[in-house]
Amino acid sequence: MQTPLEIIYSVLAGLPFVLFLANFPLSFFSKKLADKIPKVYLAIMLRGLKAYLSQYIDLSAAEELMLSQLLEVRTYDKKARLTDIGETELYLNFVLSGMLRKYFFRGKEEIITHITPEGSILASGTSFFTKQPSKFIVEAIEPTIVASLNHDNLEKILSSSPKWERAGRLLVQDFFLDKEYWLLDSIRYTPRERFLHLMRERPDLLQRVPQKYLASYLNIKPETFSRLKHLMLSKKKSVPAKK
Amino acid sequence: MNINNLSFQDIVEYLQRYFPVTEEQAEMMMGYCEMRHFDKKVVIVDEGEVDTYLNMVMKGLVRKFVRKGKNEITLQLATEGHIIDSDISFLKQEPSLVVVETIEPTTLVSLSRKKMDEALEKMPGADRMGRQLLLAMFLKKDERHYKLLQHTTRERFVEYVHNHPHMLQRVPQKYLASYLNIKPETFSRLKHLVRKSKP
Repeated sequence: MQTPLEIIYSVLAGLPFVLFLANFPLSFFSKKLADKIPKVYLAIMLRGLKAYLSQYIDLSAAEELMLSQLLEVRTYDKKARLTDIGETELYLNFVLSGMLRKYFFRGKEEIITHITPEGSILASGTSFFTKQPSKFIVEAIEPTIVASLNHDNLEKILSSSPKWERAGRLLVQDFFLDKEYWLLDSIRYTPRERFLHLMRERPDLLQRVPQKYLASYLNIKPETFSRLKHLMLSKKKSVPAKK
Repeated sequence: MNINNLSFQDIVEYLQRYFPVTEEQAEMMMGYCEMRHFDKKVVIVDEGEVDTYLNMVMKGLVRKFVRKGKNEITLQLATEGHIIDSDISFLKQEPSLVVVETIEPTTLVSLSRKKMDEALEKMPGADRMGRQLLLAMFLKKDERHYKLLQHTTRERFVEYVHNHPHMLQRVPQKYLASYLNIKPETFSRLKHLVRKSKP
């Protein structure tokens, strides 16, 4: 729980962003959305986008404004689909709050390839870049707010300056590297190791994501996942007992 | 780099499989590249080494694999026109997790990391070309991962052999089986499908 003082601090910390938001065109906040989300919260969420982009580009005020004018904020209920199989993916989505997953069907089985919480990007990538029908579903695990950029606007922004051209290359490089790590890790590590890595690197997922999704994401049988979880929890308990 | 006209045309054609590139751009790019020759079964990048080259195969066959216990899991088989390197190692300049090794005597057109950084600095449009190339490599990888997860063993075999008929002759069976994630015994058994389909 945050203390009242902490809440005041976090709102104050968001103030520069209220000024940043003052630059946003009205279309940026759909009417429905403006009703739902106080602007101050949206401002704090957008700070996440700026932090994410700062890995790739140092944005000037003018560049922030240009980006803000090209983004669309979209909201989704839990289990709503952003993109369905057969549809063409129109957007790259930055998750402002909530969590998304991406999956396909093998027969009746859902195979999850991505679980993406606030602070990073998800799309049915191949469909987005090739404009072919998606083979994947992109769906909200929690109520989710995304800032989305369509293909034309992505091109527009990436070709707007050498700085953005460079950022675009580095961004795509990271998409590529993520994919390579994902494949290598699935080969290099045992189910047990994959489970332990996830628990170490993203411990919050165990609370936020249904276990069967995590098992599918790690390509582990649900029974094995359960067993590993109990093993981990019982070990945790046994550690202080040894004192 | 000194190359004759014939192989320059090949290079342009190979590059265009990845992204739209003009002859002029290809010529500029080649100014930063070098030609490298390797005998068969030569390790180009070993596990733990930092890969300093991005390579396009002009002639020959190169394999990328990861060691797992005593096994070698084949990740990529690159023939003429394919790009191969230890991706993570080259891009992040970290020790390689994988091994890149020739299967046949091989000629590569190679771009060193140093020259790549120089090109990104000096060559107009280099960032865009880099992005387009990385995107094409990403899409290829995405397609392969999807197929590995989605398709049955039999489907993977049939599709691969249909699209790459010459590879059965060029590549040792155990490498192909590993690449398609098929047990060697199963792979042998599936070969009857190929013989049957011949007229």
